[in-house]
Amino acid sequence: MHEPRLLPALLAALMLAPAWAAPRGDATSAGAAILARFDAALRGDVVALDKLMADDLDYCTFRGDCQTKAQYLGEVKSGRLKYVSIDPAVSKVKLFDDSAVVLGLASVTAIRDGRQHTIHISWAGVLAWRDDRWQMTTWTSTLLERPSK
Amino acid sequence: MKMRCTTLPAGLFLLAALMSGACLAGDKTETSLRAAELARFAANVAADSAALEKLLDANLEYSHSNGKLDSRSSFIASLTDGSLDYLGAEPAIQSLRIFGDVGVIRGLAKMRVMLDGKTSEFTLGYTDVWLWKDGRWQMTEWRSVRLPDAPPK
Repeated sequence: MHEPRLLPALLAALMLAPAWAAPRGDATSAGAAILARFDAALRGDVVALDKLMADDLDYCTFRGDCQTKAQYLGEVKSGRLKYVSIDPAVSKVKLFDDSAVVLGLASVTAIRDGRQHTIHISWAGVLAWRDDRWQMTTWTSTLLERPSK
Repeated sequence: MKMRCTTLPAGLFLLAALMSGACLAGDKTETSLRAAELARFAANVAADSAALEKLLDANLEYSHSNGKLDSRSSFIASLTDGSLDYLGAEPAIQSLRIFGDVGVIRGLAKMRVMLDGKTSEFTLGYTDVWLWKDGRWQMTEWRSVRLPDAPPK
């Protein structure tokens, strides 16, 4: 039998359902997603990187050149870019509704086209909360003359 | 507050931004974000601290191409005390995206700057992050890389 008084409550419950059913990203998980990205890059784990990076990623290096996700993953997969060591630190997370800006520093040693370089950078990553996880949509970094503490 | 005449491109940017009526208030759209970006470049050149106070987020981190980091207050102070003087800026937006309340712009900018009494011209590749707050776009992050000079033609 139809019970009209239950209808508003049912509709309210349905409207609220997505808010508690899907966990939301927080500042801690945003920082962790960026650190996981560094770890995956160091291991050359293209499968993990694929999940951590958004399909519309804009990856801009300290040299000023920018790559798509496919281009970046292609470099890692082919071995043209191989990380030897990465020492990252998250310094700040700016958290918004469905996005986060994560800031930090890193010392990176990598081999590109057979030549090894060590750089010290400050970086910023913009994450979007999609498919119940953080995905990196933007990466940009600035070369530092020496490591910052 | 230091004020002086802007270069023609900067003046045109400011005019375009004011005509759109979208740089300081309006909707959270790509159009208003683009207008805010152009207004910010113009305000830099004009050393317009009042406009910059509105266009820059209180938590701004302004990372210069040389690695120097400024806050909103230190950046505005450097413009108004003349230690950093943008003589001209010609931005070219390459991509503009909005993720919820966050906007990200990537572009190039031809800059003419007076620093420590010396004028220099160079091109920046930049990425900046904007936050939609209090009904307007506010830049919360700026990062740039000085690009190599183009070879002479």
